[in-house]
Amino acid sequence: MTTLSRTFGRLTPPGKILFTLIPMMAVLSVGLVAAIVILGGPLVDFLAANLPLVRFVVAATVVLLMTIPTAFLIIFMEMKVIALMNLRYGPDRVGPFGSLLSVVHGLKVLMKEDFTPTGVDALVFTWAPVVVYMASVMTLLVLPFAPGLFGQDFNIGLLYFFAMGGLGVVGLLMAGWASFNKYSLLGGLRSAAQVVSYEIPLTLSVVGIILLSGSMSLNQITLDQSGSLFDWYVFRQPLAFVIFFIAATAEANRTPFDLTEADSEIVAGFATEYSGMRFGFFFFAEYVNVFIVAGLTVALFFGGWNAPFNWPWPIAANLDPASMGIGLLFAIALVPVVGVLVLGLPFYLLNSRLPFWQALVIGFVLFNLVAVAALLGLAVLSLNWVVGLLWFMLKTYAFVFTFVWLRGTLPRVRIDQLMGFAWKWLLPASLLNLFVTALAIILVHPQ
Amino acid sequence: MSLVPGFGIVRGMALTLRRFFEPKVTHLYPEDPADIPHKFRGRLQLLYDEWGTLKCETCFQCAQACPIECIDMGGVDTKGRFAIHWGASETYGERREESALRRSGRTVPDAIYEHFPAIDLAPVDALLEEYDHDPKQMLAILEGIQAAYGHVPVAALQRVSQTTGAWYAMLYGTATFYGHLHVGAASDMTAGDAAARDTADRDTRPASAEGVGASDAAYLGALSAALGDRGHAQHGTSGAAGSIGPAGPA
Repeated sequence: MTTLSRTFGRLTPPGKILFTLIPMMAVLSVGLVAAIVILGGPLVDFLAANLPLVRFVVAATVVLLMTIPTAFLIIFMEMKVIALMNLRYGPDRVGPFGSLLSVVHGLKVLMKEDFTPTGVDALVFTWAPVVVYMASVMTLLVLPFAPGLFGQDFNIGLLYFFAMGGLGVVGLLMAGWASFNKYSLLGGLRSAAQVVSYEIPLTLSVVGIILLSGSMSLNQITLDQSGSLFDWYVFRQPLAFVIFFIAATAEANRTPFDLTEADSEIVAGFATEYSGMRFGFFFFAEYVNVFIVAGLTVALFFGGWNAPFNWPWPIAANLDPASMGIGLLFAIALVPVVGVLVLGLPFYLLNSRLPFWQALVIGFVLFNLVAVAALLGLAVLSLNWVVGLLWFMLKTYAFVFTFVWLRGTLPRVRIDQLMGFAWKWLLPASLLNLFVTALAIILVHPQ
Repeated sequence: MSLVPGFGIVRGMALTLRRFFEPKVTHLYPEDPADIPHKFRGRLQLLYDEWGTLKCETCFQCAQACPIECIDMGGVDTKGRFAIHWGASETYGERREESALRRSGRTVPDAIYEHFPAIDLAPVDALLEEYDHDPKQMLAILEGIQAAYGHVPVAALQRVSQTTGAWYAMLYGTATFYGHLHVGAASDMTAGDAAARDTADRDTRPASAEGVGASDAAYLGALSAALGDRGHAQHGTSGAAGSIGPAGPA
């Protein structure tokens, strides 16, 4: 035993890690295989029996996990794009092009003191950010990302969407009320007034689409727009799109309607008393909201995951790995090694000063790139939903860019201008849009 | 106010999108040092030591080394002895010391060859024309000069420096480095003469008016002989121009 401990003590730190890790991995993988063999059948049967439940749990988890990188990406986009528009470079130190700076911000917020001031209603104060965040995350459940890739295909999806979006107001009011601070309360009421006011034209502008489509399911609305570019609803409902976009900007608390937390003017609105990760949740929710609003705009007006032209794919790739038999095993074992050597050797042969191990590292990196590209290409070629997801994300991030672009351009409106615009212009315009759409439907398709 | 509502927003968005693609104004300082002129030496400032005394010794090296003669010294030195103002910048050249000149990268008048006999520089000019005033052809030019004069006269070196832009110090170094080039070796002035001239120079400089050394007299004679034609020619042309009217630009 002493020999073993002495030998272990002489190992280098990586050696110690490997020495403990390899047996653990061996035991774990053996255990996993055993568990699959013993429990696999009954488990699969049980899951198959409760498929809708499983689907919901998986979708909720995936959506919840998806919000984090999405928020980080949008925060980074905001920092970088606005900086570039201000003729600055923006973040460029952490990660490639500074893209990890938002992660650093997240860690910073996570490490700050989570302070609860004296006199606050602790329970409501704690739950308010959660309510705001969950309201955002739950709306994501009905967003159709790709054919067959959505949390739930509700037949009242759009209604659910706006209901959940309205739930965020409850969180804002909770935060403002529980803070035990009159400025927070005023900020909360202000946000609530804004969000509730813009909820009306937002919802009314979409009714025209519901009339055209005959369905409130976002998936069905997306399917109705399949075909070419001119089947998108933005060409049939341009006024609705303009109203929706403006109202959605206000709904997501974005410039020029970001009076809720006008960073440069008021203290922090409803979030004055918040610090640490509870404060971070509000901002996470805000950036998730940007993604959601952009995604909803795409799903309603820009064809969702439909390509803008008649896409020739999916081409069924005639590649069946199982047909290779035992050759598949050899391929799995040999292709990485051969690939690394083939991609690395030219660097070693052409650059006489390069050590061989560095050439191998280059070959390894290149092989990984090639392999990932090949897999992605194969997926795009053979899987329908990959293309759809790529199109959806492309359009959505184009709209996210537009939101950031607006923030980099426009000044903030005054609160009375904000309210007056909602009630005096957007509401009549959305009503007009609704009546004209209904009239057109009656004229074109008389009963 | 434009006629189309919202047109201002479109214009603003177009502006920010243009800015998005424009080159950025930020200097990434440690990676990308500031683009300052080659001869920039920072702010002119006198430094104090830890006792609060002015470090400047009023040695005038800075004023002499300044390539654009922007330093003008005045005031009192560290010992409080002199109230100095160094006069007009036009007269700096007279007070240039060798070290200061060397620091400033200019031609250093060599004490030995200061009084070189004036020579005809036409072959040098022809050579320079032939080599296109290219400093990279320095060795070939020097060899040509050696072939033309039998040695490399200092006047020729100075002419080469002035016309090609090569530093005199580099030319001098090159010419003295190679064994087959003789810098002033075949001059009519021997080393002994030069030494005598030097001592005489040093002794007689304060009273140069009456005590002109023999070699100085020879030099002045050669100089006037060399300049004679040009001076006469200039005089003649100006006179001719004066008889007609005011001389215009030639």
